[in-house]
Amino acid sequence: MLGSVLWESLPEFGTGVLYAILVAAAYTFAVSVAAGRGRPRLLQSARLGAYGTTALVLLGVLLLAYAFVTHDFRIRYVARYSDRSMTTTYLFTSLWGGQDGSLLWWLFLLSIYIAACVRWLEGKYRLLQPYVIATLMVIVGFFAVLMLYSANPFETSIAGARVDGDGLNPLLRNYYMIIHPPSLYTGFVGCSIPFAFAISALITGRLDSEWIVAVRKWMLFAWMFLSIGNALGMKWAYEELGWGGYWAWDPVENAACLPWFTATAYVHSTMIQERRNTLKVWNVLLICITFFLTIFGTFLTRSGMISSVHSFAQSDIGWYFAGFMGLIAAVCGGLIVWRLPLLRSEGRIESVLSREAAFVVNNWALLGACTFIGMATTWPLITEFFQGQQATVGPPFYNRWMAPIGLAILALMGAAPLFGWRKTSDVSLKRAFTMPTIVMLVVMALHIAFGKQLGFPPYVLDPPTYSGVVGKVVQQLAAIAPLVTVALVFFNFAVVYQEFARGVGARRRNSSEGFVEALFTLVRKSRRRYGGYIVHIGIGLMYLGFCGKAWEIEKEASLLPDESAQVGNYKLTYKGSRRDVDEEKQMIFADMDVMRGDRALPQVHPAKFIYNQSNMGPTTEVSQLNGWRDDLYVVVGTIDPDSKRATFRIHVNPLVLYIWIGVFILVGGAAVSLWPDVSLREVGAWSYARAAAGLTSGVMFALIFASSPAGAVESSRSLVQRDAQVQAASPLRAPRANDFAPLQPRDWSGSGAAVLGGLLFGAAVAFSASRRERERG
Amino acid sequence: MALPLPSSIQPYAAHARWAAPLLVIILASLLGHHFGIGVGLLTVAGGVLCGSIWLIWSSLQGLSGDAPLTLDEALSLGAPSAEEEQKRAVLRALKDLEYERAVGKINDADYANLAEHYRNEAKRLLRAVDADLAPERERAEQILAERLATLEAEGGEDEEAAESPRATAKKASADDSQPGADEEAGSEPAVAKSPSSGAAP
Repeated sequence: MLGSVLWESLPEFGTGVLYAILVAAAYTFAVSVAAGRGRPRLLQSARLGAYGTTALVLLGVLLLAYAFVTHDFRIRYVARYSDRSMTTTYLFTSLWGGQDGSLLWWLFLLSIYIAACVRWLEGKYRLLQPYVIATLMVIVGFFAVLMLYSANPFETSIAGARVDGDGLNPLLRNYYMIIHPPSLYTGFVGCSIPFAFAISALITGRLDSEWIVAVRKWMLFAWMFLSIGNALGMKWAYEELGWGGYWAWDPVENAACLPWFTATAYVHSTMIQERRNTLKVWNVLLICITFFLTIFGTFLTRSGMISSVHSFAQSDIGWYFAGFMGLIAAVCGGLIVWRLPLLRSEGRIESVLSREAAFVVNNWALLGACTFIGMATTWPLITEFFQGQQATVGPPFYNRWMAPIGLAILALMGAAPLFGWRKTSDVSLKRAFTMPTIVMLVVMALHIAFGKQLGFPPYVLDPPTYSGVVGKVVQQLAAIAPLVTVALVFFNFAVVYQEFARGVGARRRNSSEGFVEALFTLVRKSRRRYGGYIVHIGIGLMYLGFCGKAWEIEKEASLLPDESAQVGNYKLTYKGSRRDVDEEKQMIFADMDVMRGDRALPQVHPAKFIYNQSNMGPTTEVSQLNGWRDDLYVVVGTIDPDSKRATFRIHVNPLVLYIWIGVFILVGGAAVSLWPDVSLREVGAWSYARAAAGLTSGVMFALIFASSPAGAVESSRSLVQRDAQVQAASPLRAPRANDFAPLQPRDWSGSGAAVLGGLLFGAAVAFSASRRERERG
Repeated sequence: MALPLPSSIQPYAAHARWAAPLLVIILASLLGHHFGIGVGLLTVAGGVLCGSIWLIWSSLQGLSGDAPLTLDEALSLGAPSAEEEQKRAVLRALKDLEYERAVGKINDADYANLAEHYRNEAKRLLRAVDADLAPERERAEQILAERLATLEAEGGEDEEAAESPRATAKKASADDSQPGADEEAGSEPAVAKSPSSGAAP
């Protein structure tokens, strides 16, 4: 009886919870402002109000999850993004699979941040705290209004409950899509905390290094998840969209990477303010712009103003976002102008040959890249406004112009650590640059001498993009980009090696430490610096992976069974097609034998899937063989059921694996930088934070490992053995989809082990921190 | 949290903060396993609803002034002064300077100049912090002395009890008077030390 009543009233109750969120946020905002305006006792009420608001958001998410798992198709969102055939995992994925749910999910992630921030703020930043909470509540209020009046995930269908739902978009039924949106959103939403601190510092006038120190790790955390989110998006596009690449300069991809550039600029420029007490306006601006861009990214995704392959959900909520962006710009602009006298720098940059000068130039390069991408992305809107018709720019334009900007950033990334703060003497400069420069020149010489033989020529001349002299100059500059990129990457590696070597050497000279102990102590004592260097190695590897695009090979082939095509070093023989079905789709595979030289590699099975519930056409399922040198990437276009003739698009993509390895190293470096300095009063809170971080990283890595295609890094031998076992077991039966791991990665044993590892790691860290606390106490 | 509880329950309140969610999760897991994931989710939702009501109610009680501040909460209402923040920045800069000298990024002459500049700045800030705190310290000592005098006047039976706080207060006062006491603080300001915000009880 009770259950029936509960179920009947679920949509109304869900909407009621959204109203409660709005009321609680408004109440907390009011109490916070009162606490900031001379009634400090109210701060405790504001903190409790913030916790209460976050609990209500969690309640809303739980109710929507309940609606999904019970297939409550009275609710329009549930009917539109799920069906009865979907597994529980994908039902949970549907929580953020569409617009209404993704807004609630955004709010949920923001709530987690708010709860963590409020907990962390206990006993700290008394003057900033009320306005931090108030600012965060404004953001919560905005999303609550948005859901209540434009995108209510609990809204019921006018036609009543349906027998079955539409199901999740097939393109989103990918393991990377399970973790990509939460990661990216975690990065986006994380920028709210530094923004709240910046607004609070502007309101209170406490614009010294206090708030900069406070937001340092929050921004780095958000930056790390922005990196992970963008990388997972690249991996998803590479696996699922089937066009042969990982980054197509799609508007939504671009919008997601814009805040990454400004956040990267900020994590560098903040060091200048900390040490030299300068660039105050710049840092406030960077934080405000970063937050603005996170909202702008969502606006682009959801408004449908610019067409994108990623725009899975569009509506009229773009105008709400436009209004909110206007509010952010007005408030930030007004506050900065008001506080301009306090923001005047006390320090100044004394020499061009200083680290702060290098950071400033790097900041400009990063902001230049951001502006360039932002302008090019919104070019259709700009041209429509001024010329009355939309004009778009494509990937060749981006690739042509982003290459020099990217190389400038890479060069500055390597050079900046070689300078000292304030000014660098000629002797120090010579000493610092000698070894990395020699390494760079040697690598250049080796590349020129052996690159072509190895299949990585240093000079790659593409057709000119523009006519005339300018076109030729641009073409020649682009042609040497591979040579310059590889050289600069190794310059960066040499710089990082030198920094570690000099640090370890200095420690060993001043103490009796051995090499390992000195290295460990060096990193432990200066986590941010050396974590940053590790991040630089990751980014260097990613550049190497991006550079591989210069040497990619693409070929289209139309083959009958037993016909072959040669692409680069690979020979592919089409063996025929087969059809299979499961509960949710039909699958048509094209099987191909692969040889590299005389060596047999595992079969590839590009496919077309036709989903029962989807209104879309067949989806393209890529089959890949990934390796250290290159990826073989095969897509089937059409298969004639009578003649069995199939058309294929075959790519050989060099060095792509280094992008994903680079991302792992980048995350590792960021984690080192984030690792907290434990002090007596903080140890309790940080022990939990560490446990949570350990657990989170365990789960994240588990999901990534589990969801990576089994054929990706697996040895060819094991795959050949598996294919042989399948055929030996039943040579007459048609192979089923699950026989082929590259298409259906479902091995969760690794994830279980990694989650367990993460849990044990977190527990160990928490235990050690608590023990240390007891010892100190 | 600020919700006033009977004294007999107070020792368990801190544990309840963690035990209640844990119990809800265990109950939800059991029910979810037995009746399906939907029931488990509803159980958690019920627990979260109760928690949110309790939090908002506690917050409202704080508004009405029914909930007294704990000592930790009261101490947290203090805030470090701008000079204290600047002092930390200067100490960080000195630490960086030492590192850069050790790895050879700065020559001895530049190091000497910069180190002297930062040390002078640190001394100035320490003096400013000390001067800023002096009136409040005097006021605190005066209040403490009055309180001790009151306790002593109350009679011999309270004398032993008063002895202990007096010794503690003297020790605390002596510790506070060390100008470099906070120099080892990490880069994150831990707890507000200045009572200058006037929020101390």
